[in-house]
Amino acid sequence: MKKKSNHLKAALLAVMGDEKRQNITVPLLEVLFGLLAGAVIFLILGKNPLQAFNAFLQGCGISAKANYAGGKGMFTDFMGYLDNWTPMLFAALSVAVAFKAGLFNIGVSGQMLMAGFTAMVTVGYSPLPAIVAKPLVIIIGIVVGALVGALIGYLKYRFNINEVVSSIMLNYIFQYVLSFFIFTFFINPLTRQSQAISDASRLTLQNVMIAGYKTVIPLGFVLAVIAVAVMHYLIHHTKFGYELKAVGLNPKASKYAGINVRRNILFAMMLSGALAGLAGVTYYLGYLGSIQPRVLSTVGFDSIAISLLGNSNPIGIVFASFLITVITKGSTYMSSSIGVDQQIGSVITGLMLLFAACGAYVRHRLRISRMELEEQKKEEKKEGNEKKEGQS
Amino acid sequence: MKPIIELRHITKRFPGIVANDDVSLTIQKGEIFALLGENGAGKSTLMSILFGMYEPDEGEIFIRGEKVRITSPSHATKLNIGMVHQHFKLVENFTVTENIVLGMEPQKRIAGIFPTVDIKGTNQKIAELSKRYGLEVEPTAKIEDLSVSIQQRVEILKMLYREAEIMIFDEPTAMLTPQEIESLLQVIRNLRDAGKTIILITHKLEEIKQVADRCAVLCRGKLVSECDVATTSTHDMAYMMVGREVSEEMEKEPVSPGEEVLRIENLTVKNSAGFPVVKDVSFSIHEGEIFAVAGVSGNGQEELADAIAGMVKAAGGKIYLAGQDITQMPIRKRNESGVAYIPADRHATGMVMDFTLSENLLLKNYYKPPYCVHGWLKRDRFDKKSSELIEKYDIRCGQGCDTIVRSMSGGNQQKAIIAREIDQNAKVILFVQPTRGLDIGAIENIHRQILEQRSKGKAILLISLELEEVMKLADTIGVIYSGELLKTAPAESLTVNQVGNYMMGVTT
Repeated sequence: MKKKSNHLKAALLAVMGDEKRQNITVPLLEVLFGLLAGAVIFLILGKNPLQAFNAFLQGCGISAKANYAGGKGMFTDFMGYLDNWTPMLFAALSVAVAFKAGLFNIGVSGQMLMAGFTAMVTVGYSPLPAIVAKPLVIIIGIVVGALVGALIGYLKYRFNINEVVSSIMLNYIFQYVLSFFIFTFFINPLTRQSQAISDASRLTLQNVMIAGYKTVIPLGFVLAVIAVAVMHYLIHHTKFGYELKAVGLNPKASKYAGINVRRNILFAMMLSGALAGLAGVTYYLGYLGSIQPRVLSTVGFDSIAISLLGNSNPIGIVFASFLITVITKGSTYMSSSIGVDQQIGSVITGLMLLFAACGAYVRHRLRISRMELEEQKKEEKKEGNEKKEGQS
Repeated sequence: MKPIIELRHITKRFPGIVANDDVSLTIQKGEIFALLGENGAGKSTLMSILFGMYEPDEGEIFIRGEKVRITSPSHATKLNIGMVHQHFKLVENFTVTENIVLGMEPQKRIAGIFPTVDIKGTNQKIAELSKRYGLEVEPTAKIEDLSVSIQQRVEILKMLYREAEIMIFDEPTAMLTPQEIESLLQVIRNLRDAGKTIILITHKLEEIKQVADRCAVLCRGKLVSECDVATTSTHDMAYMMVGREVSEEMEKEPVSPGEEVLRIENLTVKNSAGFPVVKDVSFSIHEGEIFAVAGVSGNGQEELADAIAGMVKAAGGKIYLAGQDITQMPIRKRNESGVAYIPADRHATGMVMDFTLSENLLLKNYYKPPYCVHGWLKRDRFDKKSSELIEKYDIRCGQGCDTIVRSMSGGNQQKAIIAREIDQNAKVILFVQPTRGLDIGAIENIHRQILEQRSKGKAILLISLELEEVMKLADTIGVIYSGELLKTAPAESLTVNQVGNYMMGVTT
């Protein structure tokens, strides 16, 4: 019996691989368990889980729907998906950078809103031509986000105010103050949203015809991919990244090493804010094209889950955000096609997060099993040798 | 008579190491049993098993002849086993009594209905206990107002209150002055005479010689020998402990001090509450000189070193390095101008525990070429440099440069810090408690490194709580008491007793 469980352990270890490979296999396992748990829920609701998961993918243009309306196709859905994915990627990078420096930026949504609003009123309603307006929107997004981040960082730097508190407070301030301005000056009484921005300033090209399909082109996505690469190198291969991580892991030792801890906290918060700002402009001036007052986007909160699932690693975040966006974006189509509440998407995300939180424990168990197996092998070898000696 | 404790074939494995390997021990009622061994020899693990914090992978435990499976510390308490940990488990802003009753608060009902904790009655009880064993602890005092040695007595009272018959002491003398050690050993003798069984975990041979009846030596998880203390010489015990000869004496080659390197003038440092902890301290250190600061823990030593390294601002006075005023210089500039610092707390200050060994070895050079060019880190050069240091300073690590420092033993972490700091080729090296918590082999190694740096003409500031260490290495001794440098004199002009007296603030 004991032997059998050992074989099982050995097989499990062989699949999960060494510690480096576990960086990939463990999150995969977490996702798998999340999906399995989701499948159970669909079963309880009396739906076919495979059909449900397929509907998520169909909603994102990754799997083909049964039929499409004229001028639309999988490609259309997929481009729409990319449009949705872009702010999610930026927001998750924003959370991850802060995490690395030991900070918890829970105010990404507020920073997004502030950056989006500023870009909307300065450029979105201006008659500037596209070639000026689009870069300007991006620059404003970066600058405004960085300034808000800097404010949070400075409050910590100067007065040691916890960034969680200050960023949550700023969320409320932005949410309601900006709502006031939108309601007073920029409201479209029909849609109850802000007036739509000019096409020239919009970061997502609308109604483009490609190969007979009418589609959107999210320009910000290119920027997001570049941002992932830049963040990857910044964190792992630069002096700045080294200091950031050192400060995040042990501020006292960082000070001892001569690193200016508080300045690094300020910079990290600025960078996090800049990324949140990019998420804001690609969301409000790309994906949506307007701002709904009094509502804080959930992107900033989903991004915390993504960052955790992706281990705060830029490359990990690409996969994690891809997946989570499939669930959030695809849940609309899933809901309409199989008739399950859209909120089930959040349930599945939550389940994955729950399993993600168990990741450290899984790694720990794997390490112990490996040690035990190695020990046993040694003993068996010893016994084998002794037997041989006995025979000869 | 049945032995009070019998451990049979205890084996405990942790990932990567066998902490206890088939250890069998018997301990009789009413004896002081010492457990001797280097750091990482498995003493603490063995006692943690006895105290119910770990369960052994193999083997059996018999208490008073009965086979038991000890599942938790509270289970151990029920079996009348108590333990004083190296780091006390006390609530700082509770009183002595409140700490002692914590977890088993005596209840009293006011008017027969409302349950409350009966502190008053317990105060009385604890005062009596304290008196009976000569502990002299005030039950109503707050823990934060008590010195380390009194806090330790509170831990002892805690065990007595829980009616412990078997008392485990984990390195009880590590933080005490010679005088305090003396009185602690007396307390331990009193406890034995009252019929308690004492297990003493230590690596200080002197103490074992003084109080213990029997002693077991652990080496790399294995029981090496069990012996009667009276008939075994300290030399033999040391030999068994490290598995090789230890030279007790170390040759200090004569070095004639050169030019003045570090000069401290009227330095005053305040703590975060604005209270001066270093007061008007002045001294200077020359090339090839070891200036040792002796003193009881918490008399301003760490603040003094922190001020020189720039970790805290000086509230007054001047610090000169090779004639240059560095009082206002930021930390990085000081590092670059030639101040190397081995801090007292290697976990909190000396290392980033979750960084790799190579990242830690470059903690002070990561930003300089050739390790960093235009803001880009050169990982291959990190690893090359680290491999050199690992080899040169014999740092033992599982996965070479990529070993996460947290997974290394304390001795090897310290070796890594010392390697990094010595490699700075600084003018002055501050060693603060460089051998705290390390075993004889590692201590010897570090002492040798310090002397080697002295021969190279470095100015060395050694801050140590170990009087023995100070006496052995120092060229000049400064005794610090309550933030003031009470006495500064050449080492050979002072005896151990004189230094001990100054440490207690006695100036006559």
